Order: sequence, then structure tokens, then C-alpha cells
Amino acid sequence: MGYNLKSSVPPAETGDAPSSESRRGFLKMAALTGAVVSVSGRRALASGNIGFYAKDLSDEKLIEMYKTILRIRWHERTQADQMLTNPDYRGYNHFYAGQEAVAVGVCATLRNSGPLKQLDVVYSSHRPTGHAIAKGVNIREMIAECDFRSTGLNGGYAAEMHLSDPSVGFIGADGIIGPAPVIASGSAFAFRARSSDQVAVVFAGDGNYSAPHFHSTLNNAKLLDLPLIYVMENNLYHQYAHYSYSCPHTDIADAARAYGIPARVVDGQDVVQVYNVAKEAVDRARNGGGPTFIEAKTYRYYNHWGAPGAKAGELGAFGYDPLAITSFRPEREVRAWMQRDPVDISRKILVDWGVLEEARAHEIEAEIKAEIEADFEWGLSQPLCKPEDGLTNVFAEGSVPARQFG
Amino acid sequence: MAQKSWMYSVLEAVQHEMQEDPNMLWIFELTPPVASNPGRPVINLETEFGRKRVVNTGIDENWMASMALGASLVGSRAATYIPYQGNTMCFQVIQNIAGKLRHMTGGKASMPVVWVIEMTGQTPGFAGQHSDYEADTYYAHIPGVRTVIPSTPYDAKGMMISALRSPDPVVYLYPAGLRTLTGEVPDEAYEVPLDKAAVRQEGSDITIVSSGGGMPGVLEAAKTLTGEGMSVEVIDLRVLKEMDTETLVNSVAKTKRLLTVDQSYYTLCPGAEVIARVAENVDGARYKRVAFPDAPPPASPEMFVWMRPDADNIAGAARALV
Repeated sequence: MGYNLKSSVPPAETGDAPSSESRRGFLKMAALTGAVVSVSGRRALASGNIGFYAKDLSDEKLIEMYKTILRIRWHERTQADQMLTNPDYRGYNHFYAGQEAVAVGVCATLRNSGPLKQLDVVYSSHRPTGHAIAKGVNIREMIAECDFRSTGLNGGYAAEMHLSDPSVGFIGADGIIGPAPVIASGSAFAFRARSSDQVAVVFAGDGNYSAPHFHSTLNNAKLLDLPLIYVMENNLYHQYAHYSYSCPHTDIADAARAYGIPARVVDGQDVVQVYNVAKEAVDRARNGGGPTFIEAKTYRYYNHWGAPGAKAGELGAFGYDPLAITSFRPEREVRAWMQRDPVDISRKILVDWGVLEEARAHEIEAEIKAEIEADFEWGLSQPLCKPEDGLTNVFAEGSVPARQFG
Repeated sequence: MAQKSWMYSVLEAVQHEMQEDPNMLWIFELTPPVASNPGRPVINLETEFGRKRVVNTGIDENWMASMALGASLVGSRAATYIPYQGNTMCFQVIQNIAGKLRHMTGGKASMPVVWVIEMTGQTPGFAGQHSDYEADTYYAHIPGVRTVIPSTPYDAKGMMISALRSPDPVVYLYPAGLRTLTGEVPDEAYEVPLDKAAVRQEGSDITIVSSGGGMPGVLEAAKTLTGEGMSVEVIDLRVLKEMDTETLVNSVAKTKRLLTVDQSYYTLCPGAEVIARVAENVDGARYKRVAFPDAPPPASPEMFVWMRPDADNIAGAARALV
């Protein structure tokens, strides 16, 4: 049923994953246990039915993914420390720490540079800095933007919740729960209509499930076979309410299956697992196979907004959050999730696979930390905005009159 | 009588009506119906009345607004608290169903429903969606819906009681910037009418009209101007629909100068309607509008604070007019 648009789709391209030899250590180990069955000649199967596409990633790409996770993490931690210790710092964030592997695993399967008409696009949420970094947004310009600087990514108009850089396919953040997935499906529709093999990805949280937009998005994406990938980051809480208050499913992916959309539930703390399901989804979308729904089980280390309950120099927020009026996350739940930290997991994978020595992995982390510190130094030394610039950028040209003086 | 906060006053009204009427409902999203106040018992509607009558939903303001309407259509009074992030997601059912239903049914539909529509606190730094102040203009335009915007804890309680008792659907706008206000509020239930503006200060040189989140700046400016010897009349609209034309006209007939102040955008701000109504009825007056420019509020505090009308802007405009 639905419209058959498949014939208008160009042949699949191989994406940016090199057809290199498989991951040595993994395959050797897997072969010993009898777990690997190579059906197509280029696919090793893990866990029964998901292609272990990460086997084809080059060492350079794997290290870059690890670095991207670290960049997100240290951007978060450095910013949290700024909020907690620097009285002149005015920026804020809906922190993403704990969820890094989702953004990085998904964006590693996308085209993040090149001509605009070939870029894959990402729609983000009100928790956007991780998605932005993973998609390739300039970090120092983002830092300047989040502190309202005129040379920031969006000239000081956006701050955290409206970060946008179409030049890398980061359509942007949005501060409102609901609309982004529907709008992303419009981009996907345009890709189909112009016979492009671009794909549209939307990151949205568990809070989006109850909005009518969620259901409208999935219904239309399926009806029209849109190249849309809905990444549901289920971090268990929308603001301060557990998702069981707004969704009857344990796995929200069950809801997508009801719309006839292939859905995967994945460990959002493991960048390789995320990469595998995202690669499957991207291949499907590029081949005209329509939408995919990915539910990444994950967790945020900080509270909904800002750094209440956090301490400078320490990861995560465990203290009281005055905004969490009804439900408050138990500290033990936060600490339990931190046992499966996406940074630790990605490091361990790279060391296990023989891609990196452990010592080098830690050196890289120190380098990234210093890089982010330099980015903050640059961002926070940028000029502030001119008040009257608020009257521009309303339309493509010109400015609107001041009305506040009568 | 005690000093009470805005939200405590509102929940006191709701609690009273829910105690009187076992069928009345309250639906919320992420803002629990809980308020505390020094020297007063904590109000928690959810625990007091139970989750059959008081329940939180997922993030779905369309459902909240529609559900409350449906409850009212079968005789259960209902109120719902729509947070500012979704304060126009619920627009369609209010504008296209509730606003027209009594008329379209030849008067058969009765809708004792109240939508508490939160507006932002206009906090600098949050950009477009989390700093805006515009829903007053949208809701005031709808026929068949009473749109009110109390600006004091006393009015907040009294107008909530009246709204809950009204057979008409009521949009009850709540500018969250007023949440820190406290005032003397009686413990018992009382009504404040849904069709009357309030003269906050009497004067003869100029009439300054505002509402909701604009009022604190207007009162501050009026104090400054009064200190300079100007005789300022201050009117708090309180009601956007049906607007109290009589109070406005009587005032400007006396002062012959009208300054309106809105945090809403200039185009079609409530002040535009005020000026039009007065101009139709008063000869020889002078007029001026202070409002937010026709631009979304930018994130940068440098830009936003400059664009938002404040007491200095208001006083300057008043001096230029007198």
C-alpha cells in the first residue's frame, strides 16, 4: 500500500564506509565462537539479524568517532564548569553527557560534508550540542553562540536551543517538543521528489512520543516511503517525568512497528551498536526502502536543564534540582547508568580491537580536553551583540522599526 | 487575609471550586498543581483530589485543551494548565471549536472550561520560543471565548473563581514573569468580574493602559512620572475579550492623552485595539503605542533587553505625549 516511489530513486551508493578488510580481532574471535556467518560476502552478522557494519570501518574513522565522543563530553564538562564557577558566563545547556554514543554512532553513517545538495540532514532537539558536534558544527563558534556572542554560529540570535548550521546539514535545534520530526519528514519528502539519495535524520526524546506530531510523522513517513530516520533517544525522562507517565510501551519502538516501520532497539551507550543499526537504516533509506525507527536506550548524566545538582570538576548531577518538583531521579539510578559510560565503552572497544593502545587513548582524551578549553577561551573572548541588531534578520532584507520607545 | 503568591492564589481558587464540585477536573502536563506559601498549608491538587480527577499527561497540549472542552460539554467543569512551550499548540480547538460552538449550536452548547495559558517569563537569553509574549494578541481575537489576563494575585484568584463558574469558555492568560509577585489575598472565595478593567491610579494628564506582564513596568513608570509632577491615570485591562470600552473611553475623555504599553508585538497588540476603541469615541485625543518590535525575541540579552519595553521607555513616551 502507499505510493510506490521506489523507481525514482537512484542506485544505492556505498556511503563513506570503506570496503576495507574486516576488523581482525573481532572476526578472529567471532570465528572461534562460531558466531559469524558471512551471507553476502560483505556482511558479518551479530546478534542474529543486524549487520555488524562497524567491521568495515577504518582505524582512522573509529578513532575519529572516539574523538567526537570525547569532544562532546569535554564540551559538556567544560561548559558545566563554566556555569558553576564563572560568574561572568551566561550560557547554558540542556546537557547531553551520557548520550554521546547515540549522536556519534548515527552521524558517523551520514554525509556530513560536501555539496549542500548531497548532505544528509539532521534535525535536533532542545538538547542539541551533542548532535551539532557529531554533525560537524564548528565547536568554537557554537561555544560563542551559547554565550550570546555576535561572532557565534548564529550571531547571538539562537543560543543553545536554536543552533543551526545548514552548511554541514545541521538544520538545527528546536526548543519545542513536537514539530521537528514532522518538519524532518518534509525534508525527506523533498529528497524523494528530487530523486536525491540524501536522508533526513531526526533526533527526538521520549517526551515526543505523546505529541500528535510523533504519530503524524510515522504515519506519513510510511505512507510515502520517506528516507527518514527517526532516532528516539529514550533517556527515560521528559523534563522530570519518567516516560511511563506518557507512553504505555516499554519499548517505544513498538509504536513505530504499529505504523509498519522497521524499528530497532539499541544500546545507546555503545557507539558500535548504534552505528550498526544506523547504517542499516541509512542504507535502507538511500535504497528507497523508506523510513526506519531507532530507539536508543540511553541516559543523561545531568538534570533536564542547566547544572543544578552538579559540582565543578565532577561529571554528572546528583544533588537537588529545584525544578524537579514531582519526580526526582534516584542518585543510584544515575550512578548505575554511569557504570556503562559511552566514553569508557568506546575506548574499551578500540583497545580490544587493537586500534589503539590504552595509553594512547588516554592521551587523546587529554588532547581533546585541551582543544575544547582553547575553544572556550576563543568563544568567551568574542564580542557581544549590538542591541539594534535585534531588528534585523526578520526578513531576508532590511530591518523592522523599533517600537519599544513609542 | 495573607500575603500570597500568584500561583498560590490561583490554586486556592481551584482547590475551593474542586472541593465544592466533586465532578470538577484539572489536567496538567509538566507543571504539577502544587503551591506553597509561608504560613499556609501546601496545596497539592493531585494528592488531594486523586488521579481520577487530577492527572498529568504527556506533552500534548492539543489533547489537554480538547479534553477539557469535552468534559465541559457533558457537564463536568474542567481546567487545564498549558505551559508556555505549547501555548499555541492548543489554539485550533479553542479558536475553531470552542469559540464558535455556542453560536453554531444556536446556544445549545455550554462550556464551563478554563484554559490556563501560560506565557513566558520573558527571561533574556532564551530566544524566540522561550522569551516571547504574543499569545495575548492571538487569543483576544477569538469571538466566543472570554480572554482574561490578571496581573495581581488578588485578581488572579478572583478571576479564576469567576472563570471556573462561567458557562463560557475562558482563556486565562498567565504571564509567568508575574510568578514572583505577592499581594494581599483573602482566604475565602470571591469573584472578580470577567468584563471590567481596573483603574490602578487616577490622574488627569495622561492615561496609560497595559495588561499582564506589561503592568509592573507601567506602575514603575507611573511612580516616576508622578514624582515629576505628572498626573497619571493607569488602567489595567484585565480583560482582553470582552474589552471594557467604557472605562477606557471615560478615562481618555478626561486626559485626552492615551499611551498603550504591550510586551506583545506592535502589530495588532492589545493596545492597538484600545486605541481604536477610544479613537471611535473620543475627539481630540493624542495617542502612542509602546510595544515589542515586530521581530521574534533574540537570544542575546543585549538585543532582547533593549527591545523589550521597560519603565524608562514608558516614561519617555509619556513625557513626549504630555
